[in-house]
Amino acid sequence: MADPEAVAKAFTDHYYATFDTARNNLAGLYQDQSMLTFEGQKFQGTQAILQKLTSLPFQQCKHHISSLDAQPSLSGGVLVFVTGQLLPEGETNPLKFSQTFHLAPVGGSYVVTNDLFRLNYG
Amino acid sequence: MALPGQATADCPSFKLVLVGDGGTGKTTFVKRHLTGEFEKKYEPTIGVEVHPLDFTTNRGKIRFYCWDTAGQEKFGGLRDGYYIHGQCAIIMFDVTSRLTYKNVPTWHRDLCRVCENIPIVLCGNKVDVKNRQVKPKQVTFHRKKNLQYHEISAKSNYNYEKPFLYLARKLVGDPNLHFVEQVALAPPEVQIDLQQQQEYEKQLQEAANMPLPDGDDDDIAE
Repeated sequence: MADPEAVAKAFTDHYYATFDTARNNLAGLYQDQSMLTFEGQKFQGTQAILQKLTSLPFQQCKHHISSLDAQPSLSGGVLVFVTGQLLPEGETNPLKFSQTFHLAPVGGSYVVTNDLFRLNYG
Repeated sequence: MALPGQATADCPSFKLVLVGDGGTGKTTFVKRHLTGEFEKKYEPTIGVEVHPLDFTTNRGKIRFYCWDTAGQEKFGGLRDGYYIHGQCAIIMFDVTSRLTYKNVPTWHRDLCRVCENIPIVLCGNKVDVKNRQVKPKQVTFHRKKNLQYHEISAKSNYNYEKPFLYLARKLVGDPNLHFVEQVALAPPEVQIDLQQQQEYEKQLQEAANMPLPDGDDDDIAE
């Protein structure tokens, strides 16, 4: 089995680079069983998830990853936990966030079956 | 409600909560006040920038500690910590974006869940923009909820002091309170068509005398 850390690193590099420049290109990472919980709001399926992500009121964004943890899951996938900072275009103060992904193996690659996102503030 | 390390006022001061959709001009609005911009402080754990906004009234100085987000509202609702101990509020929408007006009831509900019975001003910003989408007669939410409504243009300073004057009068309990000094504002970046705006203000007056539309939904009729 692939090294969970290596999978997590490759995945998050790709995910945040895409998120920061062209969020509609994230569609290929999800499938119809995927779930997103975004600041407490739940979305299921590629279409609903993409609708949410592309409706955020900014185009460009910058992510800075502070920590990245990974574990193998019993289903043969990888559980990924990220903390960091992000700066949407037009803002001057970065926001702290944490995000958890479950990646499931599909045909030699991975899809995101679970995605939980929160901003960290008081 | 100054932040730790921020200079406190030697005058009556109040926490002012600024809410509304991302991109409606909240930060632009609060940054117009020059001394507030100079003395602002950012608190990363709450993700808030607090601007002390001073005004001089016929009864002395008054300070609003104006809380502005770091853009969290672009991701979802705001946490209770942003609202707690709020003593007055401004809900902002953008008259060039219907969606931002449509979301006003949600902001009002979130605000009132934490801050009961505080004076609130609804502000329709960007009235300098030619092609406005939310017309004066379509703005009815404030009448249903007993809020004050002002049309403003942060970039031109149009009506900048009006929301603060209303809040100051309510907080002090003196309906005749007035400001006795001009507050130092950043120079206007755009000019407003005053004749057009007088027409809008007239339409607002007329709308105030019309019966409210039926129903609970606060949507704008398409």
